[in-house]
Amino acid sequence: MTKVTIPIGPQHPLLKEPLSFLVTVEGERVVDSKMRLGYVHRGIERLCQQRTYVQNVHLMERVCGICSHVHTTTYCQGVEALLGLEVPERGLYLRTLLCELERIHSHLLWLGVLAKNMGFDTIFMYAWRYREIALDIMESLSGGRVSHAVNIIGGVRIDMDAAQVEAVLGQLDELDTHITTLLGVIEHEKTFRVRTQNVGLLSPEQVRRYCVVGPVARASDVDVDLRRDAPYSIYDRLDFKVITHADGDVWARTVVRLLECVESTKLCRQILASLPDGPTSTRAPRKVPAGEVVSRSEAPRGEVIYYIRSNGKDKPARVKVRTPTLPSLLALYDQLRDVNVADISVVLSGVDLCIACADR
Amino acid sequence: MARSRPLFYLLPELWHSLVSQPCTVGYPFEPAVLPAGFRGRVVVDPDKCKGCGLCVRDCPAFALELQRESRDKYKLIYYPDRCAYCGQCEISCHADAISLQNDFVHAIPERDTLKVVLVDHDKGRACDVDGEE
Amino acid sequence: MTLISELFALLIFPGFVFLFVAALTFEWIDRRVIARLQGRVGPAWYQPLADFIKLMAKEDVLPSGANKVAAAALPMVALAAVMTAGLYVPVAGRAASYFEGDLIVVLFLLSLPSLAYFLAGWISVGVYSVIGGNRSLLQYFSYEVPFLMALTGPAIFSGTWSITDIVLRQSQTTWTLFVQPLGFLLALVGLIGKLKRDPLDIPKAKSEVIAGPLTEFSGRKLALWHLTMDMQTVVGIFLLVNTFLGGYSFGAALPSVFVFAIKALLVLLALSAASVLYARLRIDQLANLGWRILVPLALVQIAFVIWAGG
Repeated sequence: MTKVTIPIGPQHPLLKEPLSFLVTVEGERVVDSKMRLGYVHRGIERLCQQRTYVQNVHLMERVCGICSHVHTTTYCQGVEALLGLEVPERGLYLRTLLCELERIHSHLLWLGVLAKNMGFDTIFMYAWRYREIALDIMESLSGGRVSHAVNIIGGVRIDMDAAQVEAVLGQLDELDTHITTLLGVIEHEKTFRVRTQNVGLLSPEQVRRYCVVGPVARASDVDVDLRRDAPYSIYDRLDFKVITHADGDVWARTVVRLLECVESTKLCRQILASLPDGPTSTRAPRKVPAGEVVSRSEAPRGEVIYYIRSNGKDKPARVKVRTPTLPSLLALYDQLRDVNVADISVVLSGVDLCIACADR
Repeated sequence: MARSRPLFYLLPELWHSLVSQPCTVGYPFEPAVLPAGFRGRVVVDPDKCKGCGLCVRDCPAFALELQRESRDKYKLIYYPDRCAYCGQCEISCHADAISLQNDFVHAIPERDTLKVVLVDHDKGRACDVDGEE
Repeated sequence: MTLISELFALLIFPGFVFLFVAALTFEWIDRRVIARLQGRVGPAWYQPLADFIKLMAKEDVLPSGANKVAAAALPMVALAAVMTAGLYVPVAGRAASYFEGDLIVVLFLLSLPSLAYFLAGWISVGVYSVIGGNRSLLQYFSYEVPFLMALTGPAIFSGTWSITDIVLRQSQTTWTLFVQPLGFLLALVGLIGKLKRDPLDIPKAKSEVIAGPLTEFSGRKLALWHLTMDMQTVVGIFLLVNTFLGGYSFGAALPSVFVFAIKALLVLLALSAASVLYARLRIDQLANLGWRILVPLALVQIAFVIWAGG
């Protein structure tokens, strides 16, 4: 049979962001794949060196639209460590609340995209409709659905009163019922299972070899979660479960992500119940003393690492970002071996690629 | 019923969607509902503004410009198309002069509003936010 | 029949104009129902007509290796086949023409658009078109056999091979649906495969092969292809209503047009609900479904009909 090369991207209905995948197929089986990145490279790390620390907070928010808050959180954490700042408790709690809300919104977005690429438009519409609740909560807190601009060096710029806390708790209850419905669908709906089970298999050895992090690793029975292993912010005071699954296919990743949404709503409730009083931010000096820091946090897709080096001025000397999508992209070659053409879309969607994150 | 669940699992949800209102927002045929903290148009209170330039220094998009001729004569110019609507100027201002209004749609139909003189401080002469007396 | 009445039947009812209007109306109802089931608003009533007019006005480009004559001829052949099939399917009891054996002719004519679809993918040399064309051929064999077998059931039950006579027989005895519910289900699934609707829209799966065989078509050719698909929906639904649901007959004295329209709308609603309920199958899963489940069930159904009738 002749080999045909299907170009997936840079422009393809399957991808949210430009990425080039040249897949060689023989009939309906994939034989080889080649990937090319860099279509969304904006040179953010270089731009960071030309702007002050304060300006960079907003620049790092624009690395990715879906996980924007996590990027600013990690960056502000790093700079606060360099400055030796103690962020007030209330600020930390509000920061973490938005981190968890962002996790929910990101996972629901991903579920919709996976369903759409599988041909299950209804789940796409439903998942994005329920995601609106999370976005409404974030909008009522910060004024923006996607770009929150909540973090500043030294804390957060927003505050919540008792009425807002009540409203958010009610919306979290609503979100819980809807996530339970979605869990039921992926558990029982036969066509969903049939398309996602045994597709995109990754063994624990492969996960460790490619250093895959996040829900993809946890779905292959590799128990890594930065919130428990290296707690940042206030996670050492919160009580939550780390969800793992043994199957290692796209279905396992779906289960892991939806159960993580349930855990996130529980975390949000804990945060709102124990919100301390006090200020939400402290004054941060403009000049950062010389030094270097590595700041890590658990984005919806896995571990985000920031390396910030300062040489005493008000502009950073180097900011290096390692996003969790990069190792997932490396693991794609193994997943795309000997699959059907129809499985390419499921595999590519199942890994939850955020190319804007990967390309910076 | 348990056997047929896998095939018709979504039917109750579908029925619920059919009988309730669609969740589509009617904008632009209905007015847009903006939240209280919406970060829109930058507005400066000219009485409070001291012309210190902290907002200009901290703006990540270089959307604010301070043209200073003397201690009492300066102009603060704002470029809405460069602005990222992040709200850093509001945080940075020590005099609480800047605020971001929420009666704004992020679409600018006229080109000559792309350069707005926010404050024209000219020794005792007060003016409103459009730079007119 | 006089020349005027023949021309009327060919061009107006149940000919070209009626099929055109019905195709656009059914597409609108389908899109609107699917939207409401998903919690959206859905398009306005003029959307399918606006789409058609817009496509007719667009530029017509083809890739450089494609066969221009075949690309121009295939949509017209497909459209002609569907419209000719529509002439023999009675609408509320009136068909443009009928003869003994017109069921076979209609089924043959309705399979021509599928073959034209595959050829359209073959002659436009793009990767997506060829893969979509291959898939459409695989899919054709998976659903066509159970579909044909399911549709011979009503013919054997009514003892005639003319659709108009099948309707007549059903109005005298009972609807075929009550005697062969399994056959109706198989015919519905076969119709979903034939019309390439969700969950069997494998040849034109947007996230895998962009638009399948029609990826390289644009302008007037694409408008004709979409019209063919819409008319195929109409003729397929009418065929099912006539062979299984008794056409215009109801038992009580209701106007036949009304009864026929209600039945056709119910079948359309079933198709819309099916496209909302399930995820798209893979082509090998469809082949599995077709040959391991649908064909044996169809054999069982036919055996039962022959044994019960004899």
